[in-house]
Amino acid sequence: MNSAKADLPQGTLDMLILKVVALGPLHGYGIAQRLLQISKDVLQVQQGSLYPALHRLENRGWLKAEWETSETGREAKYYSLTKLGAKQLETERENWERLSEAIRLVMRTAE
Amino acid sequence: MSWLNRLLQRERLERELDAEMRDHLERQVADLVARGMEPAEARRQAALLFGGAEQIKEECRDARGVRWLEDFVADCRYGLRVLRKSPVFTAAAVLSLALGIGANTAIFSLMDRVMLRMMPVREPDRLVEFQRIMPVYGRGAISGPLFGQIQKLSSFDGALAQSWQGRRDIRFGDQDEKAAVELVSGAYYRVLGVSAAIGRTFDETTEREPVAVISHAYWKRKFAMDPGAIGKSFRLNDTVFTIVGVTPPEFFGTIVGQTPDISVPLGMEAEARGAQPVMQKSHYNWLSVMARLKAGTTLEQARAETGGFYGNLMKADAERQKDEVQKKNTLAMRLRVEPAGNGFDDLRRKFSEPLQVLMGIVGLVLLMACANIANLLLSKAAARRREIAVRLAIGAGRGRIVRQMLTEGLLLALMGGALGVVLAYWSANALVTMMSNGGPRMALDISADGRVLGFALAVSLAACLLFSLAPAWQSTRQGQQPALAEVRGSRWRLGKGLMVAQIAISLVLLIGAGLFGRTLFNMYSLDAGFDRHNVLLFSANFKKAGYKDDRLRVAQERVIAELKSLPGVTAASMALMPPVSGGGWDGDVDVEGYTYGRGEDKTSHLNAAGPGYFKLMGTPVLMGREFDERDGQGVPRVAVVNEEFARYYFKGKPAVGKWLSLGGPERAEIVGVVKNIKYRDLRQEFPRTVFFSAMQDVGSRPDWYSFVFRTSLPADEMFRAADAAVQRVDAALRIVEPKTLEQHVERTILRERMLAALAGIFGALALILASVGIYGVMAFQVARRQKEVGIRMALGAKPAAVVRMVLGQTGRLLVVGCVIGLAGAFAVTRLFEKMLFGVEAADSATFAAAVLALGVVAMAASWVPGRRAARVNPVETLRWE
Repeated sequence: MNSAKADLPQGTLDMLILKVVALGPLHGYGIAQRLLQISKDVLQVQQGSLYPALHRLENRGWLKAEWETSETGREAKYYSLTKLGAKQLETERENWERLSEAIRLVMRTAE
Repeated sequence: MSWLNRLLQRERLERELDAEMRDHLERQVADLVARGMEPAEARRQAALLFGGAEQIKEECRDARGVRWLEDFVADCRYGLRVLRKSPVFTAAAVLSLALGIGANTAIFSLMDRVMLRMMPVREPDRLVEFQRIMPVYGRGAISGPLFGQIQKLSSFDGALAQSWQGRRDIRFGDQDEKAAVELVSGAYYRVLGVSAAIGRTFDETTEREPVAVISHAYWKRKFAMDPGAIGKSFRLNDTVFTIVGVTPPEFFGTIVGQTPDISVPLGMEAEARGAQPVMQKSHYNWLSVMARLKAGTTLEQARAETGGFYGNLMKADAERQKDEVQKKNTLAMRLRVEPAGNGFDDLRRKFSEPLQVLMGIVGLVLLMACANIANLLLSKAAARRREIAVRLAIGAGRGRIVRQMLTEGLLLALMGGALGVVLAYWSANALVTMMSNGGPRMALDISADGRVLGFALAVSLAACLLFSLAPAWQSTRQGQQPALAEVRGSRWRLGKGLMVAQIAISLVLLIGAGLFGRTLFNMYSLDAGFDRHNVLLFSANFKKAGYKDDRLRVAQERVIAELKSLPGVTAASMALMPPVSGGGWDGDVDVEGYTYGRGEDKTSHLNAAGPGYFKLMGTPVLMGREFDERDGQGVPRVAVVNEEFARYYFKGKPAVGKWLSLGGPERAEIVGVVKNIKYRDLRQEFPRTVFFSAMQDVGSRPDWYSFVFRTSLPADEMFRAADAAVQRVDAALRIVEPKTLEQHVERTILRERMLAALAGIFGALALILASVGIYGVMAFQVARRQKEVGIRMALGAKPAAVVRMVLGQTGRLLVVGCVIGLAGAFAVTRLFEKMLFGVEAADSATFAAAVLALGVVAMAASWVPGRRAARVNPVETLRWE
């Protein structure tokens, strides 16, 4: 694995998936690719983490899934954000901002 | 239930999961090809990047949240396979669980009916009953006038009265039949909040009308639920009553165990009973009274008001009385107010204590069964340790294996529980028959309803946790050791603990069985003052046939003469109260030459007997003579007194020739002294007793007499002959309540018989379970030490020494178990000391006998595996290892 790629902090994968899906319905592969793109190749999500996370979020009612025919003509499973998921994303974003600001402060003063 | 949906759609979801994974892989390949990679190489790269598809799918399934259910189904299938593979173990476990759960469920269903369940009426927890407590006789019923005053108390929102009349002859058209009749006051249905299922009930305004409300069960039995039953009429004691309504199916009346077929208004009491009205008589106590607490009134407030009111009433009564003892007794009378949400407590009073004891016993039996199964499971787990080690080694979590083993336990528990419910129904039925005590069967509905089934399920689940958690935990511990290593020390420790527990519990059960057995034995073997063998008794329907006074006396004499003439009858007589009839007749007695001290108790128990009664009963006449044909009308009255009476009043001086009286001017001469006879019941001490001659008795209840006759021929045959004999006197006469004197006595010791029988059965069961458990543990222990035994024997140890070693080990555990068990027994037997008779709760002989019995069984159970170990060929053992 490429050493330039960073490990995801615990619990942030769910938030990132919600954020990416919030931009529009997307299939599993697309979500992984989009994450990689946006993060400029830093965040590479393993399928082993991605799919269980997607199913977990679907199970909680934050994502809903539909089977659609994709541009390639195959049936693909597209995930989109539910109302509940949008609310959850908002909460997690606020949390994250508070947390990262706090961590930033600590790291700065500690120097 | 979305998880259930998902489980059902499992196939579809599996397909979708496959499709999703494939889609991902193909997109990856397409991307790589687009970047210029060879398709074959791209496919290989994509697969590498993707990783273990199966593992991902597995985690997705986990994430979906139905994993536990799917696992559970799989565990159940696997568990059933495992159980099928060892049918003997499964059968033993299921059977012992079924016995344990069945016994618990049976006793619970009775307890629920008798003690716990609320009546299906409006707010049953606001209902109270009134109990009149007398200083000497205990509980008494309530008179009409007292009921009238209770109705005026301000704490209550209405009061009802009820009087059970028993099975009465009624007549529909020209068809005679019997039905259980009760009288209820007009307010009955209103206070209870019960309305008719069809038709109407009656109330205060209609309680003087000849109407009747019938129970749903009777409606079903007699009228096949035909609505046309309303308006039908029947004749009861020459009065025609019309059926106006049917009570709801769930309403069984207010007395647990007695369901009325027909309820008629209390206002019609004289007509319904075919007798003089007694409602206004303040000395005729015959009603059961219940009332509903007014909203906002507490039980304490109601008690205070009732206590104050009744106290004043008794004070006023006492002021009119002259006799000091009578005054004292009157002032000591109480009117208690007790919650009655589950009905009048007659049955509760009789059976709540025995049922509680039985519940404790069956609880212990179930614990024993659980300990046994835990032990068997431990041994099985030891045998399965390779399988478990393999599963742990290939990555099954410890929790997962514990869960698998718990599932197996659950399957056992549920099978045992299902069989137990069947056993429970059957045995509760048998118990109700036993509790009905030879009389009409008690109307206790013991069909398994939601509460009982819920109880059975809860007990099964608790048992499952008890017996399978520890072994499951234990057997997975080896996973932390090198796989397949010989680690059994801890299993041995747990097994020993279980064995000690079993010994302790079975000792408690054995001691309980011993104490109840001794109690019953004492009841049977005590000298009650009469010989209960080969004596038959019955009464006759003289009252119904219109007999009274002289005509009755003549008829009674003729019946006795007819009985005497029957072949095989050696003697016949009659008595007002055969021994131990439960009731009593007593009165203040004045005796020649005896002056009472202040406050001294003047009462004696009274009775009346026919000629030759004492000889027939096998009661020795100690002085003077007993009654004979001379003691009839027109001659001076005579009396026979018992030993206790003679001792009290004459202190060794001759009693014969002295007179006694019941306070009136009429005196009776004492003509004989007889040995003491138990009067009310077998537990009661011998009271001072006076017998009058039956042929001179003009007491209030001449039709109460029982005929007795002695014969060694079969009872059934003799009762047929007696019935014919009675009809030779008058074709309208029939014998009533025929029974042998043995049956008559046995009915008075129902509680003792019930407890002795059940404690005995469960004690024996505990002993069997204990021996199986001990055998199991010791057999395992011997197998564990096979190598050691082999070495010892190779070095010259004698087989006897090996057996001694095994027995010694059992002995040490036995001592520990017995110490714990004795301490436990010592603590619990005191709780039921009151139910014992002639034996102390801490009776050392019983305790010792129980320890001895248990010791013998334990040694026998471990001798078998010890013997087997001693027969082992050392060479083979060592080679095998």
